[in-house]
Amino acid sequence: MATTTATITLASSDIADNSLSISNTMTMTTAGTTTGITETTGLARKKIASATEVDLLTLANLEVTALKSAKVYIKNTSTATDKYALIGVGQATGTPIYIGRLYGGDWMLFPWSAILTDADGQAASIIDGGTSAHAANDDITIKMSDSTETVIEYMLFFE
Amino acid sequence: MATTTATITLSSADLLSDSLSVSATQTLYKAGTTTGLDGIQYEKLEVAAGTQVDMIDATTAGANKANKVYVANKHTDETKYVEIYIAALQIGRLYAGDWMFIPLEAAAATQDVSVKAITAAQHVEFALIHEGKTLVSS
Repeated sequence: MATTTATITLASSDIADNSLSISNTMTMTTAGTTTGITETTGLARKKIASATEVDLLTLANLEVTALKSAKVYIKNTSTATDKYALIGVGQATGTPIYIGRLYGGDWMLFPWSAILTDADGQAASIIDGGTSAHAANDDITIKMSDSTETVIEYMLFFE
Repeated sequence: MATTTATITLSSADLLSDSLSVSATQTLYKAGTTTGLDGIQYEKLEVAAGTQVDMIDATTAGANKANKVYVANKHTDETKYVEIYIAALQIGRLYAGDWMFIPLEAAAATQDVSVKAITAAQHVEFALIHEGKTLVSS
């Protein structure tokens, strides 16, 4: 079993009258256990030079178990604070739900349900006994604000 | 203008053959600028089991910006988790002790960030660092 930790520090001395200081460390474990996650894509880099929406992580090409404790790290390595990568969950050829914009230098870390659709296109949906309104694979999509070549770093932790 | 930074450190001595050590720091700017985000909402909630509730409302003033959201599950029983949603889409599960940090697009009024505690009530801490939100008339 591996021990992998992720620590965040959010700090500001002037966003309010009192300082903001949030610090939190999580140990990445498999779902519902204290056993460390043992699988990862490793840190990867991808050059994107198009404003077309594409997959950053294609669920069908990965061995991620759905509805567990997978985590996704993404960073826009650009230094341009006026250009961004729009990160979504869904299908690049469809209508993904957008999480948010990573401007140059920004990073994000989030849990990933990683649900594949089933034959009726509604995996884990209410009609299938689940709770989610999924009509498409939970791919991680990315769309750049313009065609400026940008390097995106990403890493997936999964079981 | 405020200066707020977010730093992440990912580390492991045994996940890979070699040590993993990734660190990144961002300054939280307003969209497309180098002006710091200057609004904050920081709360701790007890989320009852079984009902999906909104943590952060998507508002017109917050749409298509560079707002940031931090969420942490403060529960201590590793078998318990909360589901995090944007609009009707379940993004993922935060098990006890887990945290997440994301930018928030909130492109439409339906794209609230909501949470649902599974099998037990759980305490969730969240922070929204933003450049403005639409206030509700009293």
